[in-house]
Amino acid sequence: MFKNEEMEINLGPQHPSTHGVLRVKLRLDGETITHCQPVIGYLHRGVEKICENQTFFQGQVWTDRMDYCSAVANNLGWAEANEKLFGITVPRRAQYIRTMLNEFNRLASHLIWLATHALDIGAMTVFLYAFREREDILDMNEAFCGSRLTTTAFRIGGLREDLPPGFEKMVKTFLAKFPTCLEEYENLLSENRIWKKRTVGVAKLNAEDAIAMGVTGPVLRAAGVPYDIRKAFPYAAYAEMDFEIPTRTEADTYARYLVRMAEMRQSARIIQQCMDGMPEGPVMAKLPKILRSEVNEVYHATESPKGEIGYYLVGEKGALNPYRFHVRAPGFINLQSLPKMAEGGLIADIVAAIGTLDIVLGEIDR
Amino acid sequence: MNKILRTLIPFDIAKGLAITGKHFAKVFFTANRRKVRYHIVSEYPEVVAKIQPRFRGRLTLLKDEQGEIKCVCCLACEKICPTQVITIEKGKKEGRKMPFPVRYDFEMERCIFCEFCVESCGFDSIILNHQFELAAYNREDFSLGMEGLGQNMFEPSPVGKFSVADD
Repeated sequence: MFKNEEMEINLGPQHPSTHGVLRVKLRLDGETITHCQPVIGYLHRGVEKICENQTFFQGQVWTDRMDYCSAVANNLGWAEANEKLFGITVPRRAQYIRTMLNEFNRLASHLIWLATHALDIGAMTVFLYAFREREDILDMNEAFCGSRLTTTAFRIGGLREDLPPGFEKMVKTFLAKFPTCLEEYENLLSENRIWKKRTVGVAKLNAEDAIAMGVTGPVLRAAGVPYDIRKAFPYAAYAEMDFEIPTRTEADTYARYLVRMAEMRQSARIIQQCMDGMPEGPVMAKLPKILRSEVNEVYHATESPKGEIGYYLVGEKGALNPYRFHVRAPGFINLQSLPKMAEGGLIADIVAAIGTLDIVLGEIDR
Repeated sequence: MNKILRTLIPFDIAKGLAITGKHFAKVFFTANRRKVRYHIVSEYPEVVAKIQPRFRGRLTLLKDEQGEIKCVCCLACEKICPTQVITIEKGKKEGRKMPFPVRYDFEMERCIFCEFCVESCGFDSIILNHQFELAAYNREDFSLGMEGLGQNMFEPSPVGKFSVADD
């Protein structure tokens, strides 16, 4: 009388816990997922093609709008890729300020990840507390470059302006209170039995699979691979910074949570070092008024909060715009591991799997 | 034994409740004081929002001390704009050596507030003001120019009534 049938359902694209417009096609056997396929492209704007039709200078505004939770990190990658293409050396002070703002952005991105991930799983309180600290970082963004989310923070060759007056004080107040705030989140979550039941052993992805699929960022580091571009191929001022790469070996959602929490501590450390060792000097290199490229190609990878973000630029002789532009978006490649994580698990756990990947659909669809 | 105790007595939940309780008490017992230190949320429409000096708001044309428009139609802002929102028509005015903008159109609906135009301007003739309340009811209200009373490029955009207390 009862047939054992598989049911196919759609998660999203309007589901609030898919972090945007991600649609996941699921085939279920009871509560168990037997097949999982992410469907993307609902937020496609053609950023790469737009950038090919705009000058090197203008292209930066589009990188803001790819991963809008970590716009500064995207700007940094774009600026450095262009500097590589044109052979520009950036002043040391600008490098330090860039590093500091990039780490602030990592904090903001990880805080928004913590907030939404905890909210998805059911911890409402952390959401409010994490957004409280993120607000301070956004205020600093506003003080530095005038915008909170779509920052357009850097310029090719350095920075537009030096740090505003009063910025140091803001950083100091933030760094003084941030470790206490982190302890608060950890007290709320780390030992919490509901949190542990929902995360420990859920959405496992071992190191072999992660490397085979090109997964980078905290997801890879939670599988025990200490790969961080800040250490492996240092850029900006990271070569002069003293920090560690937190890794875990459990490779589950809980391990990724611990890795990201430890990363936030390291970010605070880097910011402190940047403030202490901030050199004096100019913040902008001397540039020709119009940037015309030579025949050249460049791939530059940086460590965005989500993983490796790479910019591939091809220059044409005498052209004002790139001949070809491609972004290696970390979210796009990390998302490919979702079927591996979710298949065989319960349907309730797919929300945890999506949350732990820390995806932003603006970046995946581009 | 320890594990059984931890399972039976919800220490972890109590820890979390203690944190939320602490924050609640902080705010609750200081709410009536004049200087409230623990409130994070500001009462925005009633209390004016605090804005940093570098805030990027709406594009504004500037005039010099004599009331002359500073813009000399070098078209740098028009060229640099990533979304092509600025259109300038060059013209001449009697008694002025430099070119004079006959039309300076600004399509605010496409503007992304990146401040590239201000950066490119070599004559300091445009700035982004500190206005962020830019909503309007009609699409035409986002097409700004040099003429018109309410929405021109020299003055801040009109802001509608927002508070119940104002009615």
